[in-house]
Amino acid sequence: MMNIVVAIKVVPDDQDIQISAAGELDMSKAHQTISAYDLNAIEAAAQLAQAVGDSKVIALAVGGSAIDESKLKKNILARGAEELVMIADDACADLDAHATATVLAAELAKIGDVDLVVCGDGSADNYAQQVDVQLACKMGVASVNGVVEMSAAGSTLTAKRKLEDVIETVEAQLPCVVAVTPDIALPRIPGMRDILAAGKKPMNVGAADAAAETCLETIEIKAPEATERKQEVSNASDDGAIDAFVAALKAAL
Amino acid sequence: MDFNLTDEQELLIDSIKEFCERNFDEQKIREMYANHGMSDELIQAYLEAGFGLMGIPEEQGGIPCDLVTLGILTEEFAHYSGCITPFLNNTLAMRDLIDFGTPEQIEMGMAAYMETGKPIMSLGFSEPASGSDNMNMSCVTKKQADGTYILNGQKTWVTQGEVFPYVLVIAKDEDNARENREMSMWLVPKEIDGLSTAPLQKIGQQIMPFCEMYFDDVVLTEDMRVGKQGEGFKNLMKNFETERCLIVAQSIGCAQAAMDDAAAYVNERITFGKPIASYQLIQLKLAEMEIALQNSRNMLYKTLWKMDNGQSVRIDSALLKRYACMECTKVASEAMQIYGGLGFTTETRVGRMWSDLRGFQIAGGTDEIMVYIAGRQLAKQYARK
Ligand SMILES: Cc1cc2nc3c(=O)[nH]c(=O)nc-3n(C[C@H](O)[C@H](O)[C@H](O)COP(=O)(O)OP(=O)(O)OC[C@H]3O[C@@H](n4cnc5c(N)ncnc54)[C@H](O)[C@@H]3O)c2cc1C
Repeated sequence: MMNIVVAIKVVPDDQDIQISAAGELDMSKAHQTISAYDLNAIEAAAQLAQAVGDSKVIALAVGGSAIDESKLKKNILARGAEELVMIADDACADLDAHATATVLAAELAKIGDVDLVVCGDGSADNYAQQVDVQLACKMGVASVNGVVEMSAAGSTLTAKRKLEDVIETVEAQLPCVVAVTPDIALPRIPGMRDILAAGKKPMNVGAADAAAETCLETIEIKAPEATERKQEVSNASDDGAIDAFVAALKAAL
Repeated sequence: MDFNLTDEQELLIDSIKEFCERNFDEQKIREMYANHGMSDELIQAYLEAGFGLMGIPEEQGGIPCDLVTLGILTEEFAHYSGCITPFLNNTLAMRDLIDFGTPEQIEMGMAAYMETGKPIMSLGFSEPASGSDNMNMSCVTKKQADGTYILNGQKTWVTQGEVFPYVLVIAKDEDNARENREMSMWLVPKEIDGLSTAPLQKIGQQIMPFCEMYFDDVVLTEDMRVGKQGEGFKNLMKNFETERCLIVAQSIGCAQAAMDDAAAYVNERITFGKPIASYQLIQLKLAEMEIALQNSRNMLYKTLWKMDNGQSVRIDSALLKRYACMECTKVASEAMQIYGGLGFTTETRVGRMWSDLRGFQIAGGTDEIMVYIAGRQLAKQYARK
């Protein structure tokens, strides 16, 4: 029996973000959505809960008041979590990793009795890959990231980590914090029953106890500048064209 | 008036989109059309996602939903899959079985459906000389001294007739004279003695092949009867309105997919140094295609809403089917025109959509028969009192 918390970031849907000529990002028309990698995290948590049996997955999300949106909450709960805890508070909008980890740790302490915290590989917007490690540090528990496979028995988590050139198998004492790679599990597509059930699951939405302190200051966020196409065309049937093409590629890298 | 979708309907659309992104791409679709079918796994996945359970009563293990939601499912599935799949037909066949079948027939049909996602039966209504003109039916059963019945006659254009293990046949009782209005429905095993089939080649919607069926002294027993004796025609008519609306939903989704492609292409295709989007003749096409789609969609959901609210849609459903099926074919035809030569090749999907959509101007009641149904009623409705 395990209580698994999956930490979810709510981000503006990148398909709706508009970029001005000056490279500014306009998110005013963007819908709030689940950060893409967190879908894999929810699925991994749900599969682990099922494998262990008699277990529960609680989704935990922290963000500005805009994340308290009814469709979004049902979306989270249609994907394998039994319960949602959401801190939707403008004091928690655009937090950096340090502040996010602080608020998450406070909420986890309130939930109590948590055996495992599952995070995604990184967030779809910043992709700093920091929250999971900083959260583990605050909780004083082990942090295991890059996880492609995991199982739990007794008070031990066994996880496979995908590193540069090896797969490492580690054991960690529960409770601990893991960050899973997208390879770990293909997110389920919520079926009609899941969707209908989602609205009936518990949703605890509240405010943060204290304003979390951020330690990063964002100066600006800009889209990468588009580079002009070089428009060099090589004709494969010309003598030496392939070599010239390869040389041009190498020169450009 | 509230045109908002519920959270659940929006999430359903998101799930349909994800499902289609995972399971359909042009190569897979081409294989399905070439093989005249799709994999058992895909059919099962559709059921497991709950899509195939929508519109089936809870007592049967289904997920009850209103017709508006069933319309959304049907439209968006056709839109995101980009092709005409058998799923709507499957659901309609199951609804027919549940509405008309005996408890034993329903139990057998649902058990098979829950396991495979496939209905047990095709629908054999049309005959070579009796499509629009149902009364002209030649199929007839004659009761024998031993209590069995002998069925003779022919059915045609039976969708999936060679695929499913049974066929729901409608035949006249005792006498196939035109005046005889007494008909019954029968659930006939495809492998029964005296029943033979011959495939027919379609020019669209090839994932679902259709066939001819010949009944030559086929012996039927009372337990094969579906619904009450003599009420076959009445039953047949009962589900036509829903069927027509959902055929339209499928048409709109498919036409929307053609619109998506063509309306994006106008920005990319350059002629005379400018994107074709800059030409007024192309803009006119886009405007008219969008009007057709929006009108069709508005009529569809209003009609479904009326049905959900217990209002008569006898006129609305006929007007809807006539208008929307013709307009949707036109949308796909204009999409082909926008693509020029490319539109007439298999490099784009708009040509396939066009031939798929063309079939809906005939299946489930022709454009002309819809006028026939609605026209008489309209004259009555507007007659001076
Ligand atoms: C894709 C597809 C799938 C089908 N699947 C099935 C199936 O699963 N089971 C099944 O039983 N049938 C099926 N059908 C058959 C379909 O129901 C018939 O083709 C349809 O009802 C028309 O009948 P018909 O072909 O005999 O045309 P006819 O009735 O012969 O009509 C010929 C033409 O005359 C017009 N016409 C007829 N009567 C009138 C009138 N009174 N006034 C004005 N015009 C008139 C028609 O509109 C049409 O243009 C399918 C057809 C198609 C195209």
